[in-house]
Amino acid sequence: MLSRVASNLFWIARNVERAESSARVLKTRLINALETSEAGPLAEGDWEMILDICAVSSEYYDIYPVCEAETTARYICFDRTNINSIINCMENARNNARSVREVIPEDLWEILNEHHLSMQNENVDTWSMPRIHEYLRDIQKLSFSLQGVIEASMLREEAYNFIKVGKWLERGEKTARVLNVVSEKTKELKLQTETDHYYYWLSALQFLNGYDAYLKRFPPKMEPAQVISFLISYEQFPRSIEYCMEHVRETVMKLESGQVSHYSEELFDAMDHVTQEFMKIKFRKLGMDEIGPFLDKFQNDCNRISSIFARTYYFV
Amino acid sequence: MLQNYPSSSFYDEMVAESSKVRPHYEKFYRILQKLADDELLEKHETAQLSFLRQGITFTVYHEDGGTERTMPFDFIPIIIPAEDWEKIETGIKQRVKALNYFLEDIYNEKKILKDGVVPRDLIENNQYYYEQQAGGLNLPHRNHIYLAGIDLIRDGNGVYRVLEDNLRNPSGLSYVFQNRFVMRKVFPEFFLEHDIRTLEHQFSHLYQALLNHVPANSLSPDNPTAVLLTPGMYNSAYYDHVFLAQQMGIEMVEGQDLLVKNDIVYMKTMRGLQRVDIIYRRIDDDFLDPEEFRDDSALGVPGLMEACRKDNAVVVNGVGNGVADDKAVYAYVPEMIRYYLGEDPLIPNVDTYFLSDKASREDVLSRLEELVVKNVGASGGYDMLIGPQSTPEQIEIFKEKILENPAQYIAQPTIQLSRAPAFQQERFYPCHVDLRVFAVGCDHIHVLPGGLSRVALKEGSLVVNSSQGGGGKDTWVLREGAENNA
Repeated sequence: MLSRVASNLFWIARNVERAESSARVLKTRLINALETSEAGPLAEGDWEMILDICAVSSEYYDIYPVCEAETTARYICFDRTNINSIINCMENARNNARSVREVIPEDLWEILNEHHLSMQNENVDTWSMPRIHEYLRDIQKLSFSLQGVIEASMLREEAYNFIKVGKWLERGEKTARVLNVVSEKTKELKLQTETDHYYYWLSALQFLNGYDAYLKRFPPKMEPAQVISFLISYEQFPRSIEYCMEHVRETVMKLESGQVSHYSEELFDAMDHVTQEFMKIKFRKLGMDEIGPFLDKFQNDCNRISSIFARTYYFV
Repeated sequence: MLQNYPSSSFYDEMVAESSKVRPHYEKFYRILQKLADDELLEKHETAQLSFLRQGITFTVYHEDGGTERTMPFDFIPIIIPAEDWEKIETGIKQRVKALNYFLEDIYNEKKILKDGVVPRDLIENNQYYYEQQAGGLNLPHRNHIYLAGIDLIRDGNGVYRVLEDNLRNPSGLSYVFQNRFVMRKVFPEFFLEHDIRTLEHQFSHLYQALLNHVPANSLSPDNPTAVLLTPGMYNSAYYDHVFLAQQMGIEMVEGQDLLVKNDIVYMKTMRGLQRVDIIYRRIDDDFLDPEEFRDDSALGVPGLMEACRKDNAVVVNGVGNGVADDKAVYAYVPEMIRYYLGEDPLIPNVDTYFLSDKASREDVLSRLEELVVKNVGASGGYDMLIGPQSTPEQIEIFKEKILENPAQYIAQPTIQLSRAPAFQQERFYPCHVDLRVFAVGCDHIHVLPGGLSRVALKEGSLVVNSSQGGGGKDTWVLREGAENNA
């Protein structure tokens, strides 16, 4: 397979996954904001957290002086200057798909194209907040349909594997990022108010679509340590970092027919390294102070895997 | 349905004089009449939507960038009886064969120039003549024309004439298939009762012909690697490229995916470099290889031409084909057919008068207001006089130009395009059509049954180009022995 094609497949998955998680994070926050009547600095801080999770807060503040619900929502959804805005992610995914149309299922292209066409005639600036809610739900559903097409119709060969690696890497990185931002946030607040802010750990679960799953396994009590270990290394939860990394590894193994060659050695080393880190922390409780550095390092390790992966298969 | 259908001096594909439907359209018309108006409208809309959803689009460029558009589809097909098609098919084969001989000749011995059949100037000063780059290449089967698109029109008497040869990168083949596909989906009722030449298996011809262009030094002559080289997704014919690559099962590459090392062409794959033998390029000559053509080309592959010269790779369609489908050279194609094949042309050109000839010149000058005059060296509609739409002053200016430099100009009758009914905006009205016939060549020439019928959907317009509001129709070639009327 051409490297350019592999790269585009990888990025279709990443872009769609990124759009889906931004949509979920934003939707969760919009709903929670309705339930908590707090206003002022606390609420503003909560909106800022959303921008941090989407990795765009400094770019946002270049344009807007304060963090408010509506401007934040519009910035995350539709701002063309925000490279990670949902609309840009979907547009990028369509362009990735368009340039590899001959290797992906027709339905995959058609779903992305239909979405593009439906957005073409919309003036999103006039959309009300309820309309934006609807949009966020549509994006999530779109991602589900696309994953359904991929699972239901793609041959389990190279193209499929590149799509999967893109998805798992994006997912794992996002989970790490949410954890990182939320633990920073609670640390800050703890210093100010001397209480544990369970509310944020609950949000973290919601951001990552893990709230229901978590409740099924653990009593309805938000124990921060338990939430953290659930999101990091609960191997049955499909957004836990361990689950994602295991799947990246498994998929690369398939791409390489189970063999480590000279050109893939570095990639395997990087993945081994992450696994070892996991094993180290999995069986002991991390103190709150250790979590921040661990997550920082982990995020870097993930990024490193991404770039080694790209290099191994000559992405341009 | 056709009660208010106006008649005129143009040839109509479906309706004969006195509003009678031609015999080979009778069955179609009968089925059509059974469909209610709202049914027709619904089917019409389903068809348009189907193109849009599948993203079967072309890109139109304007100041703000490009917009993707679909080619409007009109469901009234162009139906061609078997015996008419047979004549077209033989005529196209003859023409493409002669054009291929011509290309091989002028890039090698130039006999036709030495014999004075085609003026030397016309070739050697032609902007598309790339003797330096393409001269003396050792092409497999001496074939320059892998895929040709020959545009046909029908004059007032219904006689097919060649309007234009496209020997560089004719596009539109995907529409031939998609038009049929959509037509079958939306109007299955028509297909039950018509015996039409199928388009299935056409890709095996295309694929086989492509693979027959094996370079002399290929390491795997029995199983060569062929790729389609596209300028990328912003090209107006990108869908065509996707479709062809997909259907032939060959890799679609961009310039950045190829690399020439030691005069061998490779593609960059996830496992490293893989040797490429045959490159079906959909990039213009000018952009093909920055080392030998435009050096600012980012689409091309440096060193590609040298790899071809060393017989390590083959580029199709051949480099420098533009010299044979040029407007001026067009006028000499009938002579080429006589010269190389010793046959009379089966499909005539649109009449062309050479103004260097005294008798023709006098005739043309006496009736400029009814003719089109073209500068043989110009293209894109420049330095051209359309008699019926010109003022006496403009005509006077051209008179002087012709007298000053008669060899530089040719004259043609105002072209006549036949017409056929179209269903748009909930009504039937006549629109002008032409037909692009595709021929695939290597060791022999194969003509795809039918082709792309293009239709000028703007009422009265003669412009069938998709960039200017033209649309497409399905083209049916009836099977031999099928009843022409029923």
